[in-house]
Amino acid sequence: MTDLILSLTWGTLYYATPLTLAAMGGVLSEKAGVVNIALEGFILAGAFAGVCAADVSSRYGVFLSNVIGIFAAVVVGALLGLLHAFLTQKTRMDHVVSGLGINLLASGATQYLYLHEYPQGLTVTGIPRWMFLVAAVVLPFIVQFLLVRTHWGLKLRAVGESCEGAFMAGVSALPVRFAAVTLSGVLAALGGAYLSLADDHNFSTDVSAGKGYIALAAVIFGKWNPLGAAGGALFFGFFYALQTELQIRHISAHFLGISWTNSFLLDMLPYIMTIVALASVIGRAVPPADLGREELAG
Amino acid sequence: MGLLLVALFIGLSGYNVPQAFSALFIGATGLQLVPFKVNLFPLAQSLAQTAPLLFTGAAIAFALRAGMFNIGAQGQMVAGALATAVVGAWDPALLSPLHIVLCLAVGGIAGGLLGAAAGLLKAYRHVHEVLSTIMLNYVAADAADYLVTHGLKERHSMAPQTVKISQAVYLHPLVSGSGLNAGLFVAVVAAVGASLVIKYTSLGFRIRTVGENQEAAAAAGVNVPAVLTTTMFISGLLAGLAGSVLVLGLEHRYIKGMTGTYGFDGISVALLGGASSVGVTVAALFFGGLTSGAGYMSLQTNVPDSIAIVVQAAVVLFAGARTLPWRQRRQPAPVAKPTKGAFAPVDAADD
Repeated sequence: MTDLILSLTWGTLYYATPLTLAAMGGVLSEKAGVVNIALEGFILAGAFAGVCAADVSSRYGVFLSNVIGIFAAVVVGALLGLLHAFLTQKTRMDHVVSGLGINLLASGATQYLYLHEYPQGLTVTGIPRWMFLVAAVVLPFIVQFLLVRTHWGLKLRAVGESCEGAFMAGVSALPVRFAAVTLSGVLAALGGAYLSLADDHNFSTDVSAGKGYIALAAVIFGKWNPLGAAGGALFFGFFYALQTELQIRHISAHFLGISWTNSFLLDMLPYIMTIVALASVIGRAVPPADLGREELAG
Repeated sequence: MGLLLVALFIGLSGYNVPQAFSALFIGATGLQLVPFKVNLFPLAQSLAQTAPLLFTGAAIAFALRAGMFNIGAQGQMVAGALATAVVGAWDPALLSPLHIVLCLAVGGIAGGLLGAAAGLLKAYRHVHEVLSTIMLNYVAADAADYLVTHGLKERHSMAPQTVKISQAVYLHPLVSGSGLNAGLFVAVVAAVGASLVIKYTSLGFRIRTVGENQEAAAAAGVNVPAVLTTTMFISGLLAGLAGSVLVLGLEHRYIKGMTGTYGFDGISVALLGGASSVGVTVAALFFGGLTSGAGYMSLQTNVPDSIAIVVQAAVVLFAGARTLPWRQRRQPAPVAKPTKGAFAPVDAADD
């Protein structure tokens, strides 16, 4: 029993790691007023860039190749974040359309490059998972500090609540939003790098499997608060861990002629819980007032 | 622009760009310029790809008119396909055309119910439809996988598939050997019908009002939650029909994974096609040709056919940027419809 609790706890922490990293990106972006469906694409692109760069540089030794892999994930995440910021802020594209386009781009490009460059698949030595876990534990507090205690965080929240108000107070929205969305790309891509470098040690198409959207759900679940969002990530991580544990241990539960612990039915668990969580919480959650609004001033 | 980007992509990865593009063109249209030759088969295959895309594109375009992003066409299609496979295998001693209509109806309703679920969540619990429909996609796929490996699985078969449907409900190919069948006509009728509903019915008027401004619509006495739910039901119905037609015309049973990515491709179709049924039809033809041509190109030149997804991304990013600086001067009309909308609706706080 203690064994089960222990592995459930670790499982929850490890599944929550990429969700937390991406969710912190989501908090930054949405607090600044930019809807971020693109988290999914950031994760996927970060996963591929990380593992690809680590593989290319593998002859420089494990340590250096890992550093290069992380760096590549961060750069790709930042570039896609910049693209999202540019499309939503400069061309005033609908935030959801831009996010969907970026997700499609990440999905198509990673699939194309993966099939083209690695028809045999690839494996990397990878990074120990606890390194990312430490980052995911520390990061919510850093983001919280950033948002609440720093001058930049105040500007970011002001821009997200009311662009015009911020403009009147002499804060220009564009630089703040660009920085926030780029940073969100970096964080989500780190979550992706966790999936490929630390968790799987390889890449598979659609490795993100909706984790970006679930991270976004965690943000909403946590009412756009970094610590709350981390709590949301833990909540969803728990259901991933539960699903894995039940599958590994072949625990069976038959009821009404249906085997409820069938792998397909268990796979549904995190997704169903996401819907349930959103349906039960969102009525009480108040998003940043200018979320998704086009930036008018500046 | 999009094509340039793709050419760059193919070129950078060391393929022969003109060769790849000509293979793409031949695969999509069946027209060979030197020496001039018309092949009916590739054209029929492209049109066969068009049918499901037209359904899902029309489905997503329909929901967009009410300001909703139905990303759940994929899951709704799975529900429609599975329901059709079940009813098609059942022999109700009906005339074959009636049985076909029944199959389509059940498939459509199955998809519609899944869509309506997302609509209800949006209308009454303020769950953003993008998140709920994506989650429902995973749920529908897993549930269907479970059913075709357990309760609905064909006995004595290793493959995760249902039994074959009755021959009476087959939609037969119009060009022999190809996947082109009467489903395309059903798709055109459905797409045109959907746009007529939008344009000329009172429901359509209410849908457009809600899409333009929810608060104004509510103030004018429109039952916004009911309109949102109905819209998502109809949108899901159209997407479900895509699954029905695939089962009746192509696979003649539900097979795990048979629905491909038509549901997601429909997003690009709807965004490129904009509001009109003609636009959506043209966009569906374009993407149908692209998908079919990319398959041919990948056979001929080894360029992975995932390149089609990159093209789609380019289309969404370029068509969706309704006021790109260089586009603004030439094209006054917005390409995408107005989806104003805070991620979680701001009016949630007001009511």
